[in-house]
Amino acid sequence: MRKIWDFHGGVHPDENKTQSNGLAINVMPTPKQLALPLNQHIGKAAKAIVDIGDYVFKGQLIASAQGVLSANIHAPSSGYIKALAERILPHQSALSGPCIIIDTDGKDEWIELSPVANPDSLTKSDLLNIIQAAGIVGLGGAGFPGSIKLQPKHAINTLVINAAECEPYITADDRLMREYADEIIVGIQLVQQLLDQPKCLIGIEENKPEAIAALATAARQNSNIEVCVIPTKYPSGGEKQLIEILTGNQVPQGGIPANIGIVCQNVGTIKAIFDAVMLGQPLIKRITTVTGKAAANAGNYEVLIGTEVADLLAFAKVDLSQTSRLVLGGPMMGFTIQDTNTPLVKSSNCILAAADLELAPVADHHACIRCGQCEVACPAELLPQQLFWFAKSEEFEKAQDHNLSDCIECGACAWVCPSQIPLVQYYRFAKGRIKALNTEAQQAEVARERFETREQRLSDEKSAKEEKRKTRALAAAAAQEAKRAANPNAEDPIAAALARVNKLKQAQHTTNSPILPEDEYKALKTAAAISRTQLKKTSKALADALAKNHEQASDLQQTLTALTAKAAAAEAQLSAYETKLGLDPEQEKTLQAALAKANGVLRKLEQRLATAADPEQVKEDIIAAKSIQETATHTLAQHQNNPRAKAIPAEES
Amino acid sequence: MEILYVAVLILALLALVFGAVLGFAAIRFKVDGDPIVDQIDNLLPQTQCGQCGHPGCKPYAEAIANGEAINRCPPGGEATIKALADLLDLEVIPLDAEHGSEAIRTIAYIREDECIGCTKCIQACPVDAILGAAKQMHTVIVDECTGCDLCVEPCPVDCIDMLPVQVTPSSWHWQQPGHVIATSSLPHSHGTNDNA
Repeated sequence: MRKIWDFHGGVHPDENKTQSNGLAINVMPTPKQLALPLNQHIGKAAKAIVDIGDYVFKGQLIASAQGVLSANIHAPSSGYIKALAERILPHQSALSGPCIIIDTDGKDEWIELSPVANPDSLTKSDLLNIIQAAGIVGLGGAGFPGSIKLQPKHAINTLVINAAECEPYITADDRLMREYADEIIVGIQLVQQLLDQPKCLIGIEENKPEAIAALATAARQNSNIEVCVIPTKYPSGGEKQLIEILTGNQVPQGGIPANIGIVCQNVGTIKAIFDAVMLGQPLIKRITTVTGKAAANAGNYEVLIGTEVADLLAFAKVDLSQTSRLVLGGPMMGFTIQDTNTPLVKSSNCILAAADLELAPVADHHACIRCGQCEVACPAELLPQQLFWFAKSEEFEKAQDHNLSDCIECGACAWVCPSQIPLVQYYRFAKGRIKALNTEAQQAEVARERFETREQRLSDEKSAKEEKRKTRALAAAAAQEAKRAANPNAEDPIAAALARVNKLKQAQHTTNSPILPEDEYKALKTAAAISRTQLKKTSKALADALAKNHEQASDLQQTLTALTAKAAAAEAQLSAYETKLGLDPEQEKTLQAALAKANGVLRKLEQRLATAADPEQVKEDIIAAKSIQETATHTLAQHQNNPRAKAIPAEES
Repeated sequence: MEILYVAVLILALLALVFGAVLGFAAIRFKVDGDPIVDQIDNLLPQTQCGQCGHPGCKPYAEAIANGEAINRCPPGGEATIKALADLLDLEVIPLDAEHGSEAIRTIAYIREDECIGCTKCIQACPVDAILGAAKQMHTVIVDECTGCDLCVEPCPVDCIDMLPVQVTPSSWHWQQPGHVIATSSLPHSHGTNDNA
């Protein structure tokens, strides 16, 4: 017989196991509807990979794990996906969360399974992959994804199988061991194979003699598996407590069992691993105890994951009118549920339908009398009384200094408290607040980082802009300098421009902007031309009007008369100015005619040159004609384009 | 007389040695920055909302270090005032109502079909928690939003809502049970950790 150690504290509540452990496991028929929460485990929620209306086979993957700390979810029965909707979760908060709702078709048709015939041939990673794919999580209660514990970073020398089932009322593991002892032993061998054949210790409380006998029989061939019977004491099924009982070693504070070379698995998880490897079945069902005085057919039921509590209660003939409280889990660590539509999940090990007075009624609690019984009972060797004060006064830092995080929330302290103080609730409150504060602090840290990064970015952008501007200014200055260096004699263009402007201004000042004679002449010419055109247009309009016998004819006649006078005045003004300037339109005309004539003679002579018999004579003629034409051009140009040359002396005289 | 010279000489030597040691220590163990500002900044909620009148939490931390009142941070509320009073050894004073009142934490949500993609909220967000581009729909990265409210005002189509943070099963936690008074008759939940 192996030496058994003891752990500090612990309590001995009434076991209340006989109500449910007498009958064989009853397989519950497939309910009409199943609701599968996407997050049935610790870690990230799985992601649904089916759509509404899809047909799914039993065992088909319907939600895939997201990351390492997550688990797959499979359809527990065949049927159609009815909805992806929010349902009340089996959680202390009674909040709802996303679920996959399946309307079962009653055929219970399996997807094609691939059981392993020869597990010895499997490599470690094959085994791990099978366990991971099957969506196995710890079935003891916490629902920690199973494959993580099975790939420890430390060498493992002991595999502890948790078959203690220390919480009152619950007998699911007891029945499982009685009926599936061989399967459990094979499952243990699979895990041993995965962990390099560590010694296996099955820790089981002495109040389950049938299960002990069944396991001992199944394991008698295997010297590496030892069934260790331990005294009945709550909470010997706590992971750290069980390890201490079986090995005498304590898991270091804040550490995990792997730190001391131990891996601990629940017996239900082992059965699920057996199903996954040897039968190829994913985790879609579990054994759940229905017990309590309100349950007529108290016992253990094999239920599909996602079965609603109401369906199971109806099958177990629970009289809800007799039920004062419906507790999911055991009486020590479970929580009350209000809504019977809550689905059962992978870690739902018990429904306690307690009749009146079966569980202590919710009573007033009294002041702490500092009796110290809680300290005696605490299996984690904490100071519950101190923690209570700190939680109550919200001194979370001090609570942490007193190792609040090591509290396993077993409820032993509250159970022994003569003042009936709900100690565990205080600890849960303090833990929750600490977690929330930590989250807030983390968020604040992220916000600070983002704020500072943004500030940095903005100031970088600003200085980059400034830098660019400076570079541009420098480049421009350098270019200017280079230009000046290339042509040192050139005067400064800006200075030159300024000088020009100044000069112009000065000139305007001194001359007092006189009207230049050629400008005046041009203006007069324009006025005369305009009046001529107007006159022409009006007379044409008048002719039209007369032809059509229009009424406006008389008006037009008047306008024409006025215009005629105006045109005559303009012409007179122009000719008077021309006379004043010494211009003579008649002479200009004569000069123009002379030029045209000279041009004509020249052109004719040039044509003759090509065909002439005596080119020398023609050439001489051309030279003569050219000189006549040049003279004519010159005279006309002088007369036409240079009135100022004559005007200025005229004005001066 | 000789003794006097010796004494003076010894003291002068000692002064030199200690001076050198202190001088070396001052350079070798120089503390960068103003640690008190960082400590104050660590206690502020980092909402970066500017309700205190400073453009962010760090500037307010600097202002507090220079003697400004510690009760101008509504998002931090009483807890922050308490923590600051603790750190700076000051009296705990009530929140300055001029700068706002303590409210539940909210998160900005953009009604996405109404967003016109003007990028004004993106420029206003002090923690770069809004995602989007010009003429493209914008959205808030919920995990990064501090609920500072600064994006609401610039929105030309008023499509930003400040909604309370949702409680999820993972963020939910137990509340403190009722007060423990011997004669109390107040009803309260007792959990299930009772005598079975």
